[in-house]
Amino acid sequence: MKNIGKIIQFEYLNCVRNKAFIIITAAILLLIIASSFLPGVIMSLASPETEKTDNQEIAVICSDSLYGGELVSREFCRCFPETAVVLSKEDIETVKSKVNDSKYRFAAEITGALEYTYITKNNSIYDTNMQNCAQAIKAMYVSTFLEPYGIKADQADALVYADVQNRVLTTGTDQTVNYLPTYILMCMLFVSITSYGQIVAQSVVSEKNTRAMELLITCARPTELMFGKVIGSGLAGFTQLALILTVSVGSLKLVSSSAIPTEIYKLISIEPGSAILAVLFFILGYFMYAFLIGALASCASKSEDLSNLISPVMMLMVIVYMVLIFMCVSENYDNPVIVIMSYLPLSSPMAMFIRATLTDIEPWKIILSAAVQIISTIIIGIAAAGIYRAGVLMYGTAPKPSEIFRIILRDLKEKSKRKAKP
Amino acid sequence: MNFEVQNLTKSFGEKEVLRDVSFSAQSGKALGLLGRNGAGKTTTIRIIMGVFYPDSGSVLTDGKPIDRNTIRIGYLPEERGLYPKKKIEEQLIYFGRLRGLSKKLAAENTARWLRRMDMSQYAGKPLETLSKGNQQKIQLAAALLCDPQLIILDEPFSGLDPVNAGLLRDVIKEMIDGGAAVIFSSHQMNYIEEFCDDIVILNSGKIAVSGSIKEIRRSYPRNNIVLSSTQSAELAKYLIRSISDIAESIMPDEKNDTVTVRLKNEHDKARLISELGRCSIDIDSFAVSEPTLGDIFVRYAGGSV
Repeated sequence: MKNIGKIIQFEYLNCVRNKAFIIITAAILLLIIASSFLPGVIMSLASPETEKTDNQEIAVICSDSLYGGELVSREFCRCFPETAVVLSKEDIETVKSKVNDSKYRFAAEITGALEYTYITKNNSIYDTNMQNCAQAIKAMYVSTFLEPYGIKADQADALVYADVQNRVLTTGTDQTVNYLPTYILMCMLFVSITSYGQIVAQSVVSEKNTRAMELLITCARPTELMFGKVIGSGLAGFTQLALILTVSVGSLKLVSSSAIPTEIYKLISIEPGSAILAVLFFILGYFMYAFLIGALASCASKSEDLSNLISPVMMLMVIVYMVLIFMCVSENYDNPVIVIMSYLPLSSPMAMFIRATLTDIEPWKIILSAAVQIISTIIIGIAAAGIYRAGVLMYGTAPKPSEIFRIILRDLKEKSKRKAKP
Repeated sequence: MNFEVQNLTKSFGEKEVLRDVSFSAQSGKALGLLGRNGAGKTTTIRIIMGVFYPDSGSVLTDGKPIDRNTIRIGYLPEERGLYPKKKIEEQLIYFGRLRGLSKKLAAENTARWLRRMDMSQYAGKPLETLSKGNQQKIQLAAALLCDPQLIILDEPFSGLDPVNAGLLRDVIKEMIDGGAAVIFSSHQMNYIEEFCDDIVILNSGKIAVSGSIKEIRRSYPRNNIVLSSTQSAELAKYLIRSISDIAESIMPDEKNDTVTVRLKNEHDKARLISELGRCSIDIDSFAVSEPTLGDIFVRYAGGSV
């Protein structure tokens, strides 16, 4: 394995200097930065009238027989604290024309104890004024209703605006905090494992296609070449993933206090524990699939053969991903299917990641799953090295699965024969 | 240094590709490894390079099993290939490092070989921007980067124009003179004759013939005599009259002004000379015709070149 370091370095630089890789990484990072600011932008877009009409007044038309001017003024001022409230005595047509000319932001004509007409120039789906108006009128109604019982206005307000304080004590895992980051990370796991696996596959086929393999195979052992390629491409992928995660966390931290409401921020922020598990399962999952894909790719002579050879593995990954997504919809993360999948080699990286982040799972189960993955990766790596050794010098029609199996057996036989020799 | 291939046997599945193949290559000499396509040359080379393991037999250096970590081997495969999109200098340094050179030495040797191949100006360019002949020169540089003690060249001259072929010829001679052992595989017999003292011809995985070209030629009966004369037709008629008892065939070639006489017995050359002395026809030369390497190849490798 004396050449493995050189091969890893070469493959890593090959990947990270690749124009497509740089462009895709830059595009993803820009997208992340842009989308981090997006909620804030949407929030500001959601109340466009507020910004534009900061200095505008709102008009309230209310007959004294319904509610007293002081009460109206106080409750509306409470519900619209940043806007001047005008108790208008104008006729309704004048008010309408002033609203239309944007002299009033909007107007509320109180027509009954619990009835009012909302007069606005444009009615937006993001408009929250009506809720606030309703809140003010409701407060006025309650206050007026309670007055005969000797309850003063401020006491009535205290009753109306009484707030219930609560706190959540989670004895297991807080799914409300973890579920969105988990889905995001699982999606990243799926996309990164498949795309970096593809990078390995393309690289192997291109070396065969250009016949660079003819020389490479005489300079380094096939095992070194395959491990070097898988690790090098994996490190490049890891660099990309680390950049994405760092920029995501960084930009979230940057905008959290200002633009994003705390509830949304909580939903999309990734916990350190989840990030560590994502890294662990990325490493394990990537190696397992990359060895498999690299070995199969070594049997392809042309890029056209590649998709046929690796499609069963890709299909398997998609099935695992889809099954997990459907299972998660049921929100039963301890579903027997997910439990079984979390210990099966090719599905465990994603399945155990879900269980580990969304359920209250004992650490030994995570360790057991990781151990299954490590052992499977070693077995797959040994088998893959055998296929790779024979595959890289195989040109012509791509071999059938039975032939690939024979190659593995022949390789094992040769190895044991060599070991048996003194 | 003596590189020896000893009793190599290799099968792929049921198919026996090599059977008991043995030969040796010495430092400062070139050995021609010949055979038809599929005869087992590439498998032999791959076993020497350590890509395949033989079922039995071994590769030795000075009588000991070869240690590929210490012996520097340069290899020019028949199927040329480097990274087309990578810069030439970058990939040569990479291959040099894989062959065991330090980064610094790989860079120095890359610069030296690019200069020698007259390719320095392309060092920073991707390989694919070069012509096929120039790519071939880069491939040769990749093979020679590690200052190899054993050089294996598989069809090194294919695709080269006469100027580049001349350059390659000089480089190979320099390497042989510098003490490298060269194993030369080619179907271009003129190059084999030019560089190699010894040859090995493989036929269906077995050695059909091996040894020095001179000896192999000498093993052929020396009964083919080529007479050169501007009166070849008259000479042929005279010989038919005078030596028909000792000649197997007499073939005039008016185009080349020669007559080829095949004697029944190679010891009858003296009789032929005395008969020629008696005739008045002007004879320019008398030579024993030796088989060409092509003739030897056809005879031992089977089929045509």
